[in-house]
Amino acid sequence: MNWLIAIPALPALAFLALVALPRELRNKMLWLPVAGIVGSTVLSLAAFAEVWPGGEESLSAVWNYSWVLAEVGGRPFELGVQLDSIAAILLVVVTVVASCVQVYSLGYMHNDARRGWYFAVLSLFTAAMLALVLADNLLLLFATWEIMGLCSYLLIGFWYELEAPRKASQKAFLTTRVGDLGLLFALVVIYNAIGTWELTDVFASVETWGPGVATAAAIGLVIGAMGKSAQVPLHVWLPDAMAGPTPASALIHAATMVAAGVYLLTRMLPVLEAAPAVLSAVLVIGAVTGIVGGLLAAVQHDVKKVLAYSTISQLGLMFMAIGSASVVATMFHLVTHAFFKSLLFLGAGVIIHSAKTQDMREMGGLRKHMPITWATFLVGSLALAGVIPFSGFFSKDEIIASLLHEHLVWAVVAVLTVSLLTAFYMTRLYFRVFEGPEQIEHLHDGHKTMLFPMVLLALITCVVGFGSIQFAAFLGEEIEWPSIELILMSSGVAAAGISSAWWVYGRRSTVVNTRVYKERMGRVYSALSLKLYFDIAYDAIFIKPFMRLGDLLWGIDRSAIDGVVNGAAAAWVRLAEGSWGFDRVAIDGIVNGLASFSRNTGSALRSIQTGRLQTYQRLILAAVVLFMLYLVLKGA
Amino acid sequence: MRFGIEPFLMLAAVLFSIGLYGALSKKATVQLLLSLELMAMAVNINLVAFARFVTPMTMDGVFFAVFTMVVSAAEVGLGLGLVIAIYRSLKSSEVTSMNELKG
Repeated sequence: MNWLIAIPALPALAFLALVALPRELRNKMLWLPVAGIVGSTVLSLAAFAEVWPGGEESLSAVWNYSWVLAEVGGRPFELGVQLDSIAAILLVVVTVVASCVQVYSLGYMHNDARRGWYFAVLSLFTAAMLALVLADNLLLLFATWEIMGLCSYLLIGFWYELEAPRKASQKAFLTTRVGDLGLLFALVVIYNAIGTWELTDVFASVETWGPGVATAAAIGLVIGAMGKSAQVPLHVWLPDAMAGPTPASALIHAATMVAAGVYLLTRMLPVLEAAPAVLSAVLVIGAVTGIVGGLLAAVQHDVKKVLAYSTISQLGLMFMAIGSASVVATMFHLVTHAFFKSLLFLGAGVIIHSAKTQDMREMGGLRKHMPITWATFLVGSLALAGVIPFSGFFSKDEIIASLLHEHLVWAVVAVLTVSLLTAFYMTRLYFRVFEGPEQIEHLHDGHKTMLFPMVLLALITCVVGFGSIQFAAFLGEEIEWPSIELILMSSGVAAAGISSAWWVYGRRSTVVNTRVYKERMGRVYSALSLKLYFDIAYDAIFIKPFMRLGDLLWGIDRSAIDGVVNGAAAAWVRLAEGSWGFDRVAIDGIVNGLASFSRNTGSALRSIQTGRLQTYQRLILAAVVLFMLYLVLKGA
Repeated sequence: MRFGIEPFLMLAAVLFSIGLYGALSKKATVQLLLSLELMAMAVNINLVAFARFVTPMTMDGVFFAVFTMVVSAAEVGLGLGLVIAIYRSLKSSEVTSMNELKG
């Protein structure tokens, strides 16, 4: 089973190979990352087959292997991988969606000057996500978690020439960083409690931690998951993240990375269950996020932003599923959502590519021009709206069933509210984009490489919902088909949402004018169009004070720090001037004195050097005479 | 009649003085060399005289005189060679024109 390492290693190697190449060559080598991810997909399916048929015993690791990296405090410090049924499911989902996105990107990015780099980062991201799924300890999980954050930042800011992606990438990075601090805190708490990060040891000892420790760790984990999974109030980065390339949004901000927070909480469910209050908080956070995301999705005009808020809302549903402590419901909705939401994003990419705009008020009547996109997008929309028999219906009903099982009636009402909103805004999007009068010319459907992955995802979306029983069995639980009452209830809600949206957007064949409704909604609409004041509040509470603090600190810098520095500099200058004066007077004095002394003695002695032989002879004679006189006188 | 040592020494002193005067005053290089020879011969006369009158048994003054004569002969040969070489380059053999080393 050592070949499991190859699952994250193949995309990672593709990344390394691409990074090492020069840009021209990198842009030509796009088959390399695609081959890497396809290889990973095959291996993931093999891993899934290893775990099949799953069941109760596969919830503990089917296979676990660790490498001892070092000795810390007398204990071996290990990093390792493990495979269990949750990991097996996620491996397949991540690799399939990533393959689809990579193939789609071949078409979508085919004339971008830096497409090689785009594919490289996509591969690195996939490698990190797969390693996160396989990690058998919290430290490796945290490291890959951070790599995913980096890749998200790089891909959101991929077109860094423009201001919006630059700002959005920073916003995403900093907002998720807040959550990452929570996760780091949880890691510290857990290590403090048991001195290891091995998941198996954590689960084995969670009962013995004592309530305070488990609660602290659970709070940290939840905050980490809230940052990554864009839960209120840390959701503000996800809509802005749509500034990146659409396929990257499909992979990272719809299917995989944002689901990593949900995956983390699912993995660490034993810790959360040891802190029931935190679990209830997760439920509330999920409900609030679901409703806020749904409301905001209903007033967006940008196709991608509708999908982004929809993602936030659906992640809220997953949080509610975690709050009901149901692994099956959470994972099932995660899986179905990953497929249909990435499908919707890819469809939106084709639409944007073709319409040259993202504002759906300028679109309309695209159905005739792009039949395949229309069909796949419709499948995705119906799945998202929870229409039977598409996958979203089954997973959402599974969440409702698990909440009912816990007797959380208010939470069921919240889920139904979210469903109503979802049905409404998806229908609105559909009628705005595909029906009604045409406003754009030269529309065309996407390229084969872009349509093929969408068709594949649409097929998966059509069939995967029927596998709910097997899915639950694979995770070792028994579930039943949704009851008739449940089907009627959720279908009624979906029908209500769809028909109300049709009433507003689909009834007339002219360009829709919604001013009447906006005026009737009044302050509610203006609050929604200002994103429920989240961004404004953050601006006022965090960003502006920070700016002011920055200004203040800059003032302190200028007066105090710069004062010290400049004072030191000025003192140094004065010292240098003194030293220069000393140089001039003393050192130069000595040197020049020596020189002038030499010159003077030289010129004095020159007068003797007449160049005449006889002069010298006379001098010699005089010297001899004087010497003899001396001798004579001495003798006398 | 027999002479003592004094007349020889007197002769040598006179010769030496003549030579010294010539060496200090003549402009022609050849004359200057001649004067130098005169001074050297005066010294030779002194050497021989001292050898005869002070150490008649050992004759070392005589040997010394012979050596001196050989050396001054070589000196004159070399000197005349130099004079000819200088004359070729300066078109003159006067001492006053040889002032290249004037400081």
